Amino acid sequence: MSSDKYISHTARDFALDEDFQQWVLHPEVRNVFWEHWLSQHPEKDAVVAEARRLVHSIGFRSYELPAEEKAQLWESVWSGLEEEPVATTVTTTPFRWSQHFWKYAAVLLLGLLLTGVWRWYYAAPQPVILSIHTRLGEKKTFMLPDSSEVTLNADSRLLYAARDHRLREVWLDGEAFFHVKHTSSHKKFIVHTYDDLKVEVLGTQFNVNDRGKEIAVVLQQGSIRLSIGGKGRAADLMLSPGEMLRYNKNDGGYTKSEVNATHFTSWHNGRLEMDDYSLSDAVAFMQQVFGKTLIVRDTQLLGYKVSGSMPIIYNADTMMVQLEKVFRMKFNQRGDEIWIQKK
Amino acid sequence: MNKEKAAHTGLQVVSSGSSLWEQFLEGDRHAFARIYDIHIDHLFHYGMHFCQDKERVKDCLQDLFQDLWLTRENLSVNVRNTRYYLISSLRRRLLRTLQKDRRRMLCETDNAFEFELIRPQEDKRILEETAEEQRRLLTEALARLTRRQREAIYLRFYQDLNYAEVAGIMNMQVDSVYNIISKAISILKKTISLPLLLVFLGK
Repeated sequence: MSSDKYISHTARDFALDEDFQQWVLHPEVRNVFWEHWLSQHPEKDAVVAEARRLVHSIGFRSYELPAEEKAQLWESVWSGLEEEPVATTVTTTPFRWSQHFWKYAAVLLLGLLLTGVWRWYYAAPQPVILSIHTRLGEKKTFMLPDSSEVTLNADSRLLYAARDHRLREVWLDGEAFFHVKHTSSHKKFIVHTYDDLKVEVLGTQFNVNDRGKEIAVVLQQGSIRLSIGGKGRAADLMLSPGEMLRYNKNDGGYTKSEVNATHFTSWHNGRLEMDDYSLSDAVAFMQQVFGKTLIVRDTQLLGYKVSGSMPIIYNADTMMVQLEKVFRMKFNQRGDEIWIQKK
Repeated sequence: MNKEKAAHTGLQVVSSGSSLWEQFLEGDRHAFARIYDIHIDHLFHYGMHFCQDKERVKDCLQDLFQDLWLTRENLSVNVRNTRYYLISSLRRRLLRTLQKDRRRMLCETDNAFEFELIRPQEDKRILEETAEEQRRLLTEALARLTRRQREAIYLRFYQDLNYAEVAGIMNMQVDSVYNIISKAISILKKTISLPLLLVFLGK
């Protein structure tokens, strides 16, 4: 692109230039060419400003499809596809029955028609089942067929099934953040854990961490219902935003507390929010996400706390260096074990 | 995640879009859902400007996405701009249903692809009469543009398609697109320069 041709450009010429328009319409994308050109030609400032105004001044009336109609439309796209007819190939050999062909064809057609009607009336919708998983050191965001979003933390598994049309169900092993879409038909969304605890919602955002000896559920938005069964302590309770429930897998006991929900959910946005974050929290994090065992000789160090926030990088070594800096300690790697010492 | 990335470096929009397209072609339902989520608002907006008939637009969108899934095996891997592909397809569908339904040629209404003036922040306090005058001038100028010309302007400035893509959808030469945009800029220039003049006169 020659920069000389722009010297004699008027505001109109600039506004017509495709590359110039692109620069004005997308301020989020850096355009080195234009930035450089402008710095070289400060005398063109006024002309460029007018050209920018011209490009910016074109607006169109907005039309919006409300969120629920958008979800409904998506559902009708899918439900249309689920009734996708199975291709039936009918081969007719003329042979002897050629003179009776139309009779046979009519019978066949009637048969097909009846089957079709029967299928249409009685056939149950095909269940949608899918499973997703993450490995150590990996985080993934998925969209479920009902448009709900799930972010799976490292080393986790999730099974999704819509077995009948009133329910959406998932089975979780590990940790996941859910952003459940409310459907127009108020379909329930149930998270089963492989223990006596399940979470029921209509549409909200929450985190479930089923790891080790306990299951922690933290609600960020909306409301959810928890059912705890078995072990003689069956209970049903509601959670409000900012509340956390910790369930002990061994004795079936549980406690509810008020927490800062983002500390428990920020990982799904790739951030570690640390507020009174102790070294033992960091040890648990490295164990969960990267499968690394951190060993601390001096157990007093475990209580050492820091506050702040940092990005989570899905690389064990980088993360270790970060934590080393934050805690001002020395991390020595020996095989799969990491020994932590005072600096 | 992808969206965030894309916002930082504009270049990745295309590459992440195309790999999403490839995943979709392989039958990945999540990729299909993502494509729906990314494009549905823009497609609906285009449809509503094309013909102000919400039910028709929704019907066409449903068919469009169903056919997209059913015919994915026959689609090209080399779709460089998914939005361009989807808008062309939606346009053909809308035209087809409207031709079938001649009694209600809502399409011919004048407010298809009508654009309006967006005033920059510092202009917000201009006199009410000036704004009124601007509106009158713009409406008058708009009436001189044909529906097709307005559609081309809309596709370039709202849907962010380049000149060549606009030409492709509208079945015209790139030169004509250029001329149309030029006409639009002239109109805006005339309308925008008005307030300054009036403000000076008022003082």
